Amino acid sequence: MSNKELIIETENLQKKYVTDTVETTALAGVSLRIAKGEFVAIMGPSGCGKSTLLNILGLLDNPTSGSLRFSGQEIAGASERQRAKIRKQNLGFVFQSFNLIDELTVEENIGLPLAYLGVSKSETERRVTEAMERMGIAHRRSHFPQQLSGGQQQRVAIARATVSNPSLILADEPTGNLDSVHGREVMALLSELNEQGTTVVMVTHSPSDAEYAHRIVNLFDGQIVTENMNIRKHATELL
Amino acid sequence: MFRNYFKTAYRNLFRHKGFTVINIAGLALGLTACLLIGLFVHDELQYDKFLPEGERVYRVYNDISAQEAGSVLAVVPPMFGTTLEESIPEVDKVVRILMLQFDANNLVEVGDKSIYEKGRFFADPEFFEIFQLPFKYGSPEKALDDPSSVVISDAFSERVFGDIDPVGKKVSLDKQPFIVRGVFSTTERFHLPVNFVLPMAAAELPAERMKSWGWQQFYTYVKLKEGADSQSAQAKFRGIVAKQIDEDTNQPYKYLPFLQPLNEVYLYSAGFKFDQSIKGNITYVKALSVIAIFILLIACFNFVNLATAKSLQRAKEVGVRKAIGASRSQLMLQFLSETVLLTLISVIFSAALTSLLLPSLNAFTGKEMDFNVFTNPSLLLLLIGLTLVVGILAGLYPAMVLSGFQPVKVLKSAVVVDSTVGRIQWLRHGLIVVQFALSIFLIISASVVYKQVGYLHNKDLGFNREQIMFFQMRGDNMFTNHETFKSELLKGAGIKDVSMGYGFPGDATAGDGVIVPRNGEQVRHATTLLMVDFNYINTLDIKLVAGRPFSKDFKTDADQAFMINETAVRELGFETPEKALGQTLLWPTWDNQDSLREGKIIGVVKDFHFKSLYDKVDPTVLQIYPGAYVKVAVKMDTENVAGSIAHIQGVWDKFSPDYPMEYIFMDDNFEKMYKAEDKLKSLLTIFTAIAIFVACLGLFGLAAYAAERRKKEIGIRKVLGAETSSIVMLLSKDFLKLVVVAALIAFPVAWYAMQTWLQDFAYRIDIPVWIFLAAGIVAALLAFVTISVQAIKAATSDPVRNLRVD
Ligand SMILES: Nc1ncnc2c1ncn2[C@@H]1O[C@H](COP(=O)(O)OP(=O)(O)O)[C@@H](O)[C@H]1O
Ligand SMILES: [Mg+2]
Repeated sequence: MSNKELIIETENLQKKYVTDTVETTALAGVSLRIAKGEFVAIMGPSGCGKSTLLNILGLLDNPTSGSLRFSGQEIAGASERQRAKIRKQNLGFVFQSFNLIDELTVEENIGLPLAYLGVSKSETERRVTEAMERMGIAHRRSHFPQQLSGGQQQRVAIARATVSNPSLILADEPTGNLDSVHGREVMALLSELNEQGTTVVMVTHSPSDAEYAHRIVNLFDGQIVTENMNIRKHATELL
Repeated sequence: MFRNYFKTAYRNLFRHKGFTVINIAGLALGLTACLLIGLFVHDELQYDKFLPEGERVYRVYNDISAQEAGSVLAVVPPMFGTTLEESIPEVDKVVRILMLQFDANNLVEVGDKSIYEKGRFFADPEFFEIFQLPFKYGSPEKALDDPSSVVISDAFSERVFGDIDPVGKKVSLDKQPFIVRGVFSTTERFHLPVNFVLPMAAAELPAERMKSWGWQQFYTYVKLKEGADSQSAQAKFRGIVAKQIDEDTNQPYKYLPFLQPLNEVYLYSAGFKFDQSIKGNITYVKALSVIAIFILLIACFNFVNLATAKSLQRAKEVGVRKAIGASRSQLMLQFLSETVLLTLISVIFSAALTSLLLPSLNAFTGKEMDFNVFTNPSLLLLLIGLTLVVGILAGLYPAMVLSGFQPVKVLKSAVVVDSTVGRIQWLRHGLIVVQFALSIFLIISASVVYKQVGYLHNKDLGFNREQIMFFQMRGDNMFTNHETFKSELLKGAGIKDVSMGYGFPGDATAGDGVIVPRNGEQVRHATTLLMVDFNYINTLDIKLVAGRPFSKDFKTDADQAFMINETAVRELGFETPEKALGQTLLWPTWDNQDSLREGKIIGVVKDFHFKSLYDKVDPTVLQIYPGAYVKVAVKMDTENVAGSIAHIQGVWDKFSPDYPMEYIFMDDNFEKMYKAEDKLKSLLTIFTAIAIFVACLGLFGLAAYAAERRKKEIGIRKVLGAETSSIVMLLSKDFLKLVVVAALIAFPVAWYAMQTWLQDFAYRIDIPVWIFLAAGIVAALLAFVTISVQAIKAATSDPVRNLRVD
């Protein structure tokens, strides 16, 4: 693994939230390396800092201190503008609550990242159609999010996250709002994307979802307590 | 990308229907008010603009307040014109117009047609060179050179000659023959109420009189040479005027002449004496403009408030878009597009509404304003400009707030705990305060105007103007035999009394000096002279405070008696009415200025308002003077008015069959004096109502959001046993506090503004304190009712459902 190219490398990441009176330490020194093509699951009890870590890895937030390199480039302390630029070119997000835009159709939601990237209309249409077909939602293209089931919505969200061919997908409890059947479907999709070469970092509560990952990072009180290789996944390598 | 913005915008507006309807209704109403006021103001500013080279034309007016307190005269002596023409190098041309009562009727006869026309002007031949009115027939050149010429308006021509070209035709004016030389058109907005123009020569004024520096009888206009400086012309002219000596006093005249630019004559001549121009009032124009801006602000604030209140609902969208890669400027652009789209819809609605309401406004203001977007490209441009300005004004702050949300914070949970929320709260409260302060200001203003206008109409004027028919005598027979004419009139069953004279309330009066002999000296006082008969006091029901009225029982009353009013008692220095009785007055008679009429004061009348309440009651002297019996007032019974009129017509036809009878009723004439105030009152009422409605609309929306936000709290309170009323109070309290703050801001401002307005009236109300309290209470009540609708809805909804929200 160490000989592989790193997509993310953090060193001693700290994140403190200061509200009026209280100071909360959400991350207390997290050092983590993620290689290109990896599938990493982050687990831990509620409030331990999983989402905070994922948001920082996804460049949605800045750490209070520590270093964060994305493809070798130092990001900690970068401006929102710079982070936004990297985000739209390299990252895709999947959220527990789907976070689709209610006013846009399935097709428009999926095409949104391409619109912000300035991709041409015909190219957008081609890629959106492709993404919808891959996720099996092409027949729902002109529906609005509320007209879809949770599983379908999450598939739209994944389509949206992947349409710009990001090198890294960040998923925060992607199956948290889904029943087990739909949850398994979503996990299969993420696995498949990973097999095609996309790096996936996922926060989850569910041990069965974590089974899909190569590596499980356990957080507790803002710190990494253990990192386990997923034996079953790596069985072939280990042999 | 823009297409995408507009698509989201459109769907967003559609989805949040309540928000959209409230905003569009508010903005559309506000914009309509603005457009209507804008059209009105624009029209007011158009007066005299159509005249070619009008920017070189100035009216000469004369401030003689150093001589007679508060007198700024629209008329000047004839020598002003002569001197300006001959001695001031900047001056190109001058025209003098003889001051007559322009609304008096003049008999016009052509063939067997005989009708009355108003608006007779005697003017120097330069009239049409200075006022280059468009000619329909004939030409302005030399049109007034011959003393028998007349130039008539198209309306006159139409009425008298019908649809033909009347140039060269004969017309008799007050029994004198004239020839029509031209027809000018009156479609444009012109401040002079001119209907037909006769050469000055036709007035046959004595050449001697035209050399006077003291006879203030001419409206005078100059046209300066191209590029000439009006200030230097004015300064030079003042230098010459300062040297003129008043023969009566052997002192220089205390005149201060001004050159008033033509484009200010219409709006900036309030308070000028003897001004018969068609007048606007810059105060009212400004007041309406301010109201328009108020209403638009209130509507824009609604948008800001509702959009920021709604922002929490859209925070998630912002977060998603940002996570995906939207930049802040892209988001700002998106939100601004939404506002602009919303404004555009409002503008379209308001344009339709404006077209719909304009005919009523036209009827109401007597204007002919036009609002056609399809034929007037500048109007279209204006609407587009308005859309952008209002859209950006209203949308900028919400767009900044919304696009400033940070994705991590808003994506995580439904509740945004953020410093911006506190700031928004502050701003929102601030804007509500401003909205209600403006509304309360308008309520107070409208109430004060209401009261003052009511006062103008209903104040006891010191005489009774009801049931009095008023007309001018016509024809030699009527003048010569005025006594028989009067006794014939009195024979009518419903006729209570008849008075003849010159100087009836609401009509022209003569100003002239009287002399009070005191300690061997003769002191001259400027007064108003009312030339009356023995029936005057009774006909008008004027009250006496001392002495007796004129009576035929006293032989000397015919030419050796005076009555004066209370103001004259003070100004002439008699201390009390009783002490004035028996005092001697002298008056240089009109037939012969060298002979003095000497008489005693026999009675003192209570001050009565024969002019409008804009003017203070002048010191007034009444005397019997048959030489000036030109007007007749007939007091009638309330019963069988038609019979009385028929009787008067019969008598008229016996004396002057050549002349058609025309008359007015004195009370109508008085009502007309306050037409501008009546209109102000109505406009203010309408626009105040709109302003308050729009403000309440905003409050309604905000209350809905507040109820929504506190749904859970309300649910818990209800489970714990709270009454509906306590929940209504809970939600209303915050808003009501704001209304109180607004009232405290509005009170002093409104008091100051209204006090300033009232200064224009010589007789005015004191602003009662209860108006302020009432305005505050009305605003609070309206706010409370508005909020309660939402609060009751929230308080009566099923608490269990609300508690399950999370
Ligand atoms: N915006 C914030 N302000 C203050 N404290 C926060 C904020 N976001 C998260 N926290 C706190 O940081 C800690 C970690 O939160 P989070 O990363 O959301 O945990 P997890 O996703 O593991 O449940 C928690 O104690 C949480 O209360
Ligand atoms: Mg979390």
